[in-house]
Amino acid sequence: MSLLAVSGVTKRFGGVIANREISFEVAPGELVGIIGPNGSGKSTLFEIISGFYHPDAGEVSLDGRRLTGLSPDRVCRLGIARTFQKLRPFAGMSVLDNVMVGALTRTRDVRHARERARVLLERVGLGDKVLAHARTLSTGQRKRLELARALATEPRVLLLDEVTGGVDQRSIPGLVELVRELHRDGLTLLVIEHNMRVITAVAQRIIALFLGEKIADGAPDAVTRDRRVVEAYLGPAYHQ
Amino acid sequence: MRQALRGAWPAVALFGVAALVPVLVRDAFFLDLLILVLLWGATAAAWNVAGGYAGQVSLGHSVFFGLGAYSAALLGTKWNVSPWIALLVGAALATVMGFAIGFLSNRLRGPYFVLATIACSQVFLIAGSRWRGFTSGSEGIAVPFRPGFWTLGFVDKRVWVYLILALAVGVYLIQLYLERSRRGYQLAAVREDEDASLSLGVPARRLKVAAIAVSAAVTAICGTLWAQYVGFVDPFYVFSVDLSVRFALAAVTGGIGTALGPFLGAALITVLETYLRAHFGGIGAGLVGIYLIFYGVALILIMRFAPQGLVPVLGRWWRRPAAAS
Repeated sequence: MSLLAVSGVTKRFGGVIANREISFEVAPGELVGIIGPNGSGKSTLFEIISGFYHPDAGEVSLDGRRLTGLSPDRVCRLGIARTFQKLRPFAGMSVLDNVMVGALTRTRDVRHARERARVLLERVGLGDKVLAHARTLSTGQRKRLELARALATEPRVLLLDEVTGGVDQRSIPGLVELVRELHRDGLTLLVIEHNMRVITAVAQRIIALFLGEKIADGAPDAVTRDRRVVEAYLGPAYHQ
Repeated sequence: MRQALRGAWPAVALFGVAALVPVLVRDAFFLDLLILVLLWGATAAAWNVAGGYAGQVSLGHSVFFGLGAYSAALLGTKWNVSPWIALLVGAALATVMGFAIGFLSNRLRGPYFVLATIACSQVFLIAGSRWRGFTSGSEGIAVPFRPGFWTLGFVDKRVWVYLILALAVGVYLIQLYLERSRRGYQLAAVREDEDASLSLGVPARRLKVAAIAVSAAVTAICGTLWAQYVGFVDPFYVFSVDLSVRFALAAVTGGIGTALGPFLGAALITVLETYLRAHFGGIGAGLVGIYLIFYGVALILIMRFAPQGLVPVLGRWWRRPAAAS
């Protein structure tokens, strides 16, 4: 039984087809990676699943409930949270307040939301930054903040857009471990990632996109050896 | 109760002093100044609900103020309706207009929204000044004075102080709610980054529209009471861009998005203006209008030395000696 179902999703921007009839399903508790060279439509797909873009054709559903056509805030309340590739913390607010905004989607009680936010910040390793202003955080810390904020909305599926992108090498293992822990605790994740070593290490299954189309879907080592995937990244000449 | 008022003691002190003034002072000029300070403070605070807390900067709030003022004037003169009813009618009309402008804010952002609000107030200015049969046009309307509580006619300025003080405290409490409630946190998130707030489940559009509608309704209430107090309404004043700018200016100089800021800003601007006009602006003074130059210079100085408004600056002053000890 699938939790998230994407079926026949197509999105055009003028003459450019960003997504062409993409279909896949994600089972509860799965961690699925999405790879593909720049411009292959990964982020567009995320925008569609999270309700920021409406597809020209096809639909997305969560546990049988159709999400296509709903506003992003509705989609979040129904159980899909996301992070942004280009980080978007509420820079003028404290780290705690940032996460409280997410928590307040699930509780009306401000005090309860504050407690939840503290617990989550502890969990992502920002327990000592609670009262800091979000704009004072490093990129790695901001990634953790976005993660905590998204988790605070109690998602059933979490979409992560480039967890390790722009983060210095030393911070990557910690972030990867965090994603692993979330997965181990039963969260369903869909992860866009450029760093091949990271994605093959954490994902149970990888979907590869190229020029808006799904070109591979399967176990990490199978997908990374797939002829079309290698060609997509390196060009036909490199395939032996 | 103590929890609810945490951090609000400067406001409690200031409103407390305002409440004591009528007991100690009988001077009509001074009481008049206090009434205007409180009234412009309440209006700036109402503006702050949209412009500060929701981040929807409007320079068309005179529309709402004017709707309130004209409700009092027209209902009073034409149908002999109590100003209290006019107050509700004005607030209702302004709420409808607030929804209209609020929906506009979902389409237009930043400077385009500001321009749209200015255009909106110009439409009302033209309607108010040209629709002579209904509004008496640019001659304006004298608001009838009928003594009594039901007709909002008070000779005693002390009554006005308490009436406007109640309004001011009411608007202050609305702002306090916006700082501490769930909706307040969500609105702050919308102001910081609308898309990020949407991704966290915040109904951003509905919240913005609601904030603008509340701001509009309260501004209209201020307009009704102002018309009732001053006793005269004309379109070139109540629907002017100048008036909208005054609301925004008071909130910005005091501290945009802070609950006390609009009141401090309004106090500073109103006192400054009144003082300068009294000293340099009277007939017989050598240079009529020179007070405006002083006024402008003073505003530039405030923006130079307190770009975030007075509240952050005063807050720092207050904490410095405490930290040293």
